[in-house]
Order: sequence, then C-alpha cells, then structure tokens
Amino acid sequence: MWKRRARPPVRSTSRLFATFAAASLVPVVALGALVSQDYSRAAAEQGRAQGLAQADVITQMVIAPALNSEDSPAFGSDDLSRRGLTQEQHDRMREATRLAVYNGSVQHLRLRGFSGRVIFSDDGSTSSGVPVSDPDFLAAANGEARARVITGRTQTIRVMQPMLASATGQSIGVIEVYLPYQKIADRLQAQVEHTYWRIGAGLAALYLVLALLAWWITRSLRRYAADQRHNALHDALTGLPNRTAFRTWAEARLDRAARDGGHGAVVLVDLNRFKEVNDTLGHHAGDELLRVVSQRFRSVLGREDILARLGGDEFALLLPGLDSAEAVALMERVRDRLAEETVLDGVPLSIEASFGIALYPEHGSQLQELKQRADIAMYQGKRGTVDVVVYSGEGAGHPHQWLVVQAELRHALERDELILHYQPKVGVTDGDVHALEALVRWQHPQRGLVPPGDFLPAAEHSGLIVPLTEWVLRRALADQLGWTAAGQSWAVSVNVSARNLEAPGFPALVAALLAEAGTAPQRLVLEITETALAGDVETVERAIGEVAALGVGISIDDFGAGYTSLSHLRGLPVTEIKIDRAFVKDVADDPQSRAIVRSVIALAHGLGSRVTAEGVETAEVYRWLIEAGCDEAQGYLIGRPAPWPQVAPTFAVPTVIDTERASR
Amino acid sequence: MTLRRSIVVLGIAALLGAGGCTRAEPAAEGGGLDEVASVTKDDALHARLPEQVRAKGFLRLVTDASYAPMEYFAADGRTIIGFEPDLAVALGQVLGVRTEMVMGSFSTALDDVGAGVYDGVLSSMTDTEERRAKADFVNYLSTGTSILVQRGNPGSITELADLCGRSAATEQGTFQEEMLIRLRTECGDRGLTIRSVATNADVLVELRTGRVAAVLQDYPPASFVATDERTSAFFQLASDHQYERVLFGIAVAKDNTALRDCLRDALQRLIDSGVYADLLARWELSASRVPAAMVNGA
Repeated sequence: MWKRRARPPVRSTSRLFATFAAASLVPVVALGALVSQDYSRAAAEQGRAQGLAQADVITQMVIAPALNSEDSPAFGSDDLSRRGLTQEQHDRMREATRLAVYNGSVQHLRLRGFSGRVIFSDDGSTSSGVPVSDPDFLAAANGEARARVITGRTQTIRVMQPMLASATGQSIGVIEVYLPYQKIADRLQAQVEHTYWRIGAGLAALYLVLALLAWWITRSLRRYAADQRHNALHDALTGLPNRTAFRTWAEARLDRAARDGGHGAVVLVDLNRFKEVNDTLGHHAGDELLRVVSQRFRSVLGREDILARLGGDEFALLLPGLDSAEAVALMERVRDRLAEETVLDGVPLSIEASFGIALYPEHGSQLQELKQRADIAMYQGKRGTVDVVVYSGEGAGHPHQWLVVQAELRHALERDELILHYQPKVGVTDGDVHALEALVRWQHPQRGLVPPGDFLPAAEHSGLIVPLTEWVLRRALADQLGWTAAGQSWAVSVNVSARNLEAPGFPALVAALLAEAGTAPQRLVLEITETALAGDVETVERAIGEVAALGVGISIDDFGAGYTSLSHLRGLPVTEIKIDRAFVKDVADDPQSRAIVRSVIALAHGLGSRVTAEGVETAEVYRWLIEAGCDEAQGYLIGRPAPWPQVAPTFAVPTVIDTERASR
Repeated sequence: MTLRRSIVVLGIAALLGAGGCTRAEPAAEGGGLDEVASVTKDDALHARLPEQVRAKGFLRLVTDASYAPMEYFAADGRTIIGFEPDLAVALGQVLGVRTEMVMGSFSTALDDVGAGVYDGVLSSMTDTEERRAKADFVNYLSTGTSILVQRGNPGSITELADLCGRSAATEQGTFQEEMLIRLRTECGDRGLTIRSVATNADVLVELRTGRVAAVLQDYPPASFVATDERTSAFFQLASDHQYERVLFGIAVAKDNTALRDCLRDALQRLIDSGVYADLLARWELSASRVPAAMVNGA
C-alpha cells in the first residue's frame, strides 16, 4: 500500500484505439471503394472502346469496300433508306460478312438507313434491329458512334455507328454490329478481380500498419500518462507517495473509516538532525539517508499502511485499524529499525526520528486536523525525551499557532513585554538562598501573563530562542546587579537550549555579557537539559567547554528523565546536577526513587558536582533530602517563581517535629 | 457526436461524388449564319427568278462534298459545310428562296444540270471554254492549281514537268484532269499515268497511300489539307506556285439565263454589301476573291 502503482485507465485507452481504428478505416474503405469503382468503370469503358474500334475496322475493311465500286458509288443525294443496295452491292456484302458471321466473330450485322429501314442484315431479316427511337440509333444517325454492353445469355457488345462509306466522310446510314463480348468481359472481369484483390490486400496492409501505429501510439500515450500520473503522485527520490497522493489516499481512507466506523492512526515523522547530514556530508548523503529510511520504514509496515514523504525529512503514515498501543508499538519498531547503524560516506550514523501519533476517530476525522495533532505530538516528542508521542490534548500548545506566537514574540522582545521571575535554590541544610533560577514570563497585552510552555516551544522551534536567551541573559545579569546592590550575593541560573549551544559565537556572547555587566563568571550558571546533550554532541560539548572555561557554572537540568548517556557527563565540566522532579516527588513513599536519587547524589558527588533537587514540595521530602546528603533544593515548598525583590533571602528549614506534627 | 457523424457521412458522400460525377457535354453548336442574316431579300430579283423556281421555293445545287474548305462533310457525315454552302445560303437569302446543297458526282454534274435534275452546280467548278458549251457560269472565285505531294516531298517534285514519268491522281471530270492530259502529251515518251477517281477524297487517299506521286488540285483545298492539323502531317504543297489561274463558277443550264442573271446580280449584291468578303475571310480565301460578279468570265 505504501507504494501503489497507478493503474492505467484501460477503458479510455481502448476507446481511443477504437476511435483511431474506426477513423482510419473510413478513408481506407472509401479509398478502396473509389479506386475499385473507377477501375471497373475504366474496364467497362475499355470494353466499349474495344468494341468501337473493332466495329470501325469491320466498317472500313469489310463493308465500305463491299458497298463501293466503280459502278455503284455509295454516295449520292439520297440516303440508303431510299435507295437500297444494288444487287451487286448486296451480294458483295453477303460475301464479305459470311465467314465472320459463321465463325461468330460478328454475331449480327445490319446496315440501316437513317429512317431505320434495314437495308442489309446478315440473316436476311428486315424487321429486327434497334428501334429508331433508341438514343444510340439517333446518335449514330447524327454521326456519333455508340457502344453498349448487352447482357443476355452471353455478353454482347452492340455498336451503333454512322456508315461512312467513303473517304469523303459522308454518312449514308447506320451500321448496327453485335460483337461477342463474353471473352473480353471475362478477361476484364479477371483483371478487375485481380486488381480488387491487389487493392484490397494493399489497403488491408495499409490499414494494418495504421492500426499498428495507432496501437503503438496509444500504448505509448498510456504509458506516458501512467508515468506522468505516477510522477505526479510520487516522490522521485524514494518512490514513496508524495504529499498530494497522501492527502488523496488518506482522505479516502478516512472517509471510508468515518462511514464504516473504522479506526486507526495518522503518524507524522520527522528525522532528527537530518539537516546536519545534508550540511556536513552533502546532499547525496542526505538523499541516500532518505532512501535508507524509506526502505526501513517499508520493511516494518504492512500492506495496508500508507507511507508518504511529505517533503524534506518529513514523513507521514496512515495506519488503519491500529489503536494507540499498537501504533506506538509499531512506531517503536520503526524507530528501532531506523536506529540501526547506517554508514553514509564511511560515517556511521544512527538515525533518530520523532513520531507524533494522532488517532482517529478520537482525535478527529479530518486529515488536516489529525495531521495538526500528530504534529503537536511530534513536537512534544522533539522537545521531550520520548520519541514516540501520542497526541494528548491541547496542553502542549498549538503548533499551528506558533507562527502567530513567533510573530508576537518578536514584537514582545522589541517592546519589552517579557519579564523574568526567579525561583530560589537554597542550601538544604541551612536554608540560605544560594542562587536564583531565571524563568521567563510574557506579559501579553491581551492575553495577560503567558506561561512559558505556551511560547517557549515556538521560540525553540523557530530559532527565536537565540535572541530570547540573549535577552534573558542580559536581563538576568542586570537583575543580579540589582540584588547585588541590595546586598545579596546570589548566583543566577539561566536555562540554555541546545540551539543556543549549537549557535556559533555563543560562548563569546556569554563572555561579552559578563564583561558588560562586570559580573564574576562564577555567579552565572547555565542550565542545560539532558536533551540538549543528545543533539550535536560535538558542537554542544565544545560550546559547554568554552563557556565553562570562562568560569561559568554548568548545570545539567532534569537529570534522569532523558537519555543522557553517562559518558556525556564524563567529558563535561559539570558543576551542578539537578535531579528531575519526577524522582524527587516520590522519595517519601517510593523506595526505588529514593535509591535512584541517592545514587545520583553519589554520582554527582563522585564527579565533583553539587546536587540540586527540583520540585521539592513537601517538608518530608525536604528532610529526606537533608538525610540523603543533597546539596541544594528548589521547589514550591521553598519559593515560587517571583520577581527578585520578592524572593526571601532565607528559608526556614523544616524540622522533624514540624513534619510529624504536620503529619499528625 | 451527431455533428461528427454527419461530417463523416458528408466526407464519404463527397468522395463518392467526386468519382461518380460525369463530365457535362457542351451543348450542340448552333448552325445559323448571323452575318448572312443581314442580307435582305431583293424582291426585284425574286420576281425575276424563273417561275418554276419561285413555285417550288428552293434551288438544288449539286456538289461533290469532298473539297475542303470549299465544300465537305461535317463530322456527322451528313451536313455539307464550307465556303460554297455558306455562299449558297447567302445567295438564297438575297433571292428569297432556300438553297439546298446536294451530294453528287462531279463528273456527271453538268449533265445532270442539263437534264434538269439540279438547278446548278456549285462545286468549285472551273469555268472553261469546253464546259461553256454545256452551261453558263456565274463566276465567284479566282484561283490557280497547285501540286500537292506527300509531306516531305519524297518525289522531289517542284514543277509540273517533274510529274512526267510518274503517276498523278485527279478527280474525274475536273479541270485538273484536263491539265494532266495536256501535260501527258508534253511529257512525250516519258509518259504520265493519270488516275482519275470519283471524289476529291479518293484523290487524297491515292496520294496518302502512295499510289500516285502527286495530285493536281485547286489552290484552296490543296492549301487546306497542307495546313489543316488533321492532314498536314501527310500532305504539303510542292511549291507556292499556282498554275493556270482560272475562275470558278456556278454552272447553270444554258437555257436558264434568268436564273443565271439572278444569281449574278445576287452575288453582286453580296460583293457590294461586304458579305462576300466576309465569307471569304472566314474560310481564309480572301486572296481568291473576284472584283465583281461575272458571267462566263465577262
């Protein structure tokens, strides 16, 4: 299903061919009919001409000499009707025609006057012959020879011609000659038939050639059309259906599902760091990567699943009949398959991708809607630590609103609508505030205070995070000057995105800002999420190294929630590890969480870092942290994010008794 | 679809029509003489016609119609055309009677006229002293005799004397027959074979088939066959010279002076009115015109 051959439109093609065939048949048949008609007419004309010529010869060689003699010239004022023949002329005529009539060379011969009177006939009869009113007789009487084929028992040609008895050209009567035509007719017929066959065969061959040409052309057209259709619907690089085809086919599926009550999943997949492959190894490597990816996809997917490449490194799938768990399972299989090492241009790569899953009919029945939700889920995956994410409501923000958000955020940066709140980090044992974590807030003119979750993903996604972080750094350092002036020596923590670290010149920027503010580097801590470390490791590590070299503290945020390899920690000058709130909140009840937190504390201490627990919300947890040897704590128990002047400089460390009292 | 089908049908019909159509024959030619129609009947002349002619209303003139362009058969083999039939019609219109050209034997024509079978002879007959014994002649043309030979002139004949020792053909009873007989005596021992045949057409057959070396003919028909596209491939004039320029005349019985004079006056009217010149021009005979109508050369 992922690659559907466009079926050729057979019916219209055969109709086209039939039209071609019929259209070429018409002129061929017409031509054949015309040529045959002309030829048989010419043959008949030839027969008549032959008859005329023969009669002419008979007249001049037989009859004229018989009629003409010194004594009885055949001319005079009266025509033969009046005059008749002399006995001598009559005898000579009989003599001259006898043999020919006997042999059948001449079937009948009559000499007639212009009045029609029979002056001489081979059989002596005077009543037979053509009626005077016959057009042929009249024509002959007026000097025009006529020949006509008469079909009786056999075919006979009848010639009527003027009797030109002498060289003067005077006509003295009409000669009526009947010549055998059967042999001539048979021969002509044979010729005509022969010609018919030849014309027929020639035209049939011509038609065959035309038909073959038509067939060949229609076939080429059909193939061309099929190719065009395929190209229009498929991606040339991978051979997968393209965006158009996906929309068409998926919509058809969804319509059918809506009608028949089917269910399934729409999945959007985006390859991580594809751009780097393109940039560093070249486009051919990127293309090769896409081909490898699509092959691996195919190896896992079923026949009914639609896989399409929407463009770039973005893929879409429609998985009919799958529920959430099955879709996730299938996508995890795909992810694992993709993650198998690939060697491109001698560089071993592990392909990672983010999968966003939207289910139908739960998340919508329209493709557009489902795709948006799958997109939201996918970006959750990109931001978070899980690759395969099923859409889970609108909480994560609307990626389709991101463009709006991004535009507004730009204005916000210009108009100074952003503000920084600070959440204190205290030393666990004494409760003294050691540092403030700067958390950006957006005082939107219409929407009020916008939580960071609503705009940070958009900023992250667009690259707007770079100026945003710069702004936060600048403002945080400025605020720090403020509290320093107020007598506090708190350090300030700023969250830094992977994109910041990847951006060239970031360490220089940090150095410049520090210099600008005149702040000691040690009083600045950059918090880096684990996921940032999963990115372009080399660049990020180099950037971290350079920043750390300035003396700036490096903190690993949300430790334990992501995929950070411990090997990353080994090479980094980490000054702080912040344990993810997921572990911290459970330490009161869950022995396993306790074990994990304890080991992380041990690990951090082993690496020479201090440990901060995030999300400390109860005194019980706080006390346990003290016991566990945690260095610092952060959370609502200690203080919510607030403008720095509102931060209490110390925190009253809860005692055991308080807790017991509280629990009672 | 209907439109397309009808176009196909039309196309087929056009194809069949193109093959099936027959050539239209031109309409038959009319035979009137419009120029002659300008000739008006002369009642005085009509009144002077012999009673018998006025009574029957027509004149029968005998001719040997084998003497193009003077008189010959048209393609239908029945109509006699030429300068003389045209002249006869014009004369008839002046006289107010119909004229009829009748095919007959040249050699017996004068006798037939004498016997009253025909009213006259209009057949390129030369006005000779000998014939004047039998008839009076109303002269209408002046011409000489030419020697006609086969195209290429195989006998290298350029003058009459060259005919000696050979054979020549002529029509029975013609002036040219007399000329040949005279020539034969001049040839002396060398001799001259004369073949006299019934019609001028037969004379040409003799020459065409090579049975004679030359033919003596009046200049107009000789020139005609030597230049006409149907015959010029076979005949040519031995030279441009015309021998023994003579007058042609309509022979009328000697006792029929009334008719003779009427014909002469009618001819004079045609000469005066220009109709005569026009008819001559039409048959390319203008060189043979006579200045005035004459009887027996005077």
